[in-house]
Amino acid sequence: MDTFLAALFSGTSRGAIYALVALGLVIVWRGAGVVNFAQMGQAMFSTYIASTLIQNGNSYWVGFFVALFAGAALGALLDVLVMRPLSNKKKTELLSSESMRAAIPVIASLGILGVLQALAGIIWAAEERGFPAPAAQEGFTVAGSVMPFTSFDLFVISIVLITLTLTTIFFKRTGVGLAMRATALNQEVARLSGIRTNFTRTLSWAISGAASSLAGLLITPTSNLSPNTLDLVLIIGFTAAVVGGLDSPAGAVLGGFILGLVISFVTFYLSPEDVFISILAVLLIVLIVKPRGILGGKDSRRV
Amino acid sequence: MLKIENLTTSFGSVVALDGVSMTAHESKITTVIGANGAGKSTLLRTISGLESPASGLITWEGQSIVGRKPEDIVRAGIAHVPEGHAVISELSVEENINMGSLFRRRSHKSDVAASLEEMYQLFPRLQERRKQLAGTLSGGERQMLAISRALVSRPKLLLLDEPSLGLAPLVVEQIIDCVNTLCRSTGLTVLLVEQNANTALGVADHGVLLALGKVVADRPAAELKADSSLRAAYLGY
Repeated sequence: MDTFLAALFSGTSRGAIYALVALGLVIVWRGAGVVNFAQMGQAMFSTYIASTLIQNGNSYWVGFFVALFAGAALGALLDVLVMRPLSNKKKTELLSSESMRAAIPVIASLGILGVLQALAGIIWAAEERGFPAPAAQEGFTVAGSVMPFTSFDLFVISIVLITLTLTTIFFKRTGVGLAMRATALNQEVARLSGIRTNFTRTLSWAISGAASSLAGLLITPTSNLSPNTLDLVLIIGFTAAVVGGLDSPAGAVLGGFILGLVISFVTFYLSPEDVFISILAVLLIVLIVKPRGILGGKDSRRV
Repeated sequence: MLKIENLTTSFGSVVALDGVSMTAHESKITTVIGANGAGKSTLLRTISGLESPASGLITWEGQSIVGRKPEDIVRAGIAHVPEGHAVISELSVEENINMGSLFRRRSHKSDVAASLEEMYQLFPRLQERRKQLAGTLSGGERQMLAISRALVSRPKLLLLDEPSLGLAPLVVEQIIDCVNTLCRSTGLTVLLVEQNANTALGVADHGVLLALGKVVADRPAAELKADSSLRAAYLGY
């Protein structure tokens, strides 16, 4: 029973973080049509900024909010400096075919990832360093026995739930949110409605950047920080997004929690070595049964 | 008033518009008719900034709008309802309408709410279905929705691309009537592209006949309607 609870809690807390990563990917995929492989590179970079600030004597929260802001700014910057110029070159020979137009931003994002990781290595040296947690990472003690649940887990889950709620309200209830959804769904109709789609696209990069920075801040206390530590998180987050449906924000969140729980239960009940094969199994099963992901695709939207 | 001079738009080596000159007269309905592939849709798409012309002038209220972005052209008062009931299926009816007035929501707050109510009065069926996803609407309702989305931007010029496409004759009549009433009562200028020449010429003040990207005739609608030789040669009935 104890093992079960431990697996459940740690899976939920990890799943919350994967949900954030997946959400970040889905927002850029829908808003700009790009699978952004640089996303966790951006998160790594802003987590280093937070780490440096905290090491220099600032409080955790200064580092936390500066990192979120830096993540948003970096996302916006990448769109304006790299992605927008690329998509505006539609008329050139190289970008004449549909598949090339879709592939080039993805390749560019891989390039950005490489640049960010190299830069981080140059600036902060490539060895691992720890990153502080704002809450205790030891289990609660109830009636003399240690529970498998830490206050840091509680912190992670509540902050992710708050973020998801705020994001949902933003997309569903505000004018800018409507403009972003319209741009994601049909750019031509959005532009004909007077929506400045360049702006909404940049905004989706910024929001995604902030969300993934948050994921970076929440995962590094348990994984340590180095230029490459977050690569694995991106792979799991991307799998979560595909499992849930790459064009569905709700699906991304669901996929994140599913993968978090699967990984956790496999680690506790089988062995950590079986984690990857189990992720692959989940991905395969979902892709065979529902190729567009659990909540993805036209069929589910029509309901 | 919209004035087009010598407008040429091509896609690669295909010339879709070949030196078109015409005018959309203020507070009147001007219709552009012609067979499939005559360049009618390209004409509207070039006006609204979705396509960039190879050469030529588009003058709106005395200023050139060639090279401006679609989102800025809407803000200047030209609303385009593209072909095929262009609504966003995954958004609700009300969200589709609101989308058209997003850019005015701060500057004209009370008018934005008023414009939504006006659309519901104009098309009561949209009000009944306001919370439904646009994808669940019938073709006619979707066309009404697309027109509403354009109208809440408070345009001075409405570009309508084949509103009758795929709709039952009764629905077509209702939509055309509605556009006609709007033009006569509010002074809205309309540029109506239609393949259904009879319907379009019946309601329009002025008719422009387009064939293979060139203007073949530019006359009062009644005159064009009466010219059976032009009709037989270019529209095939």
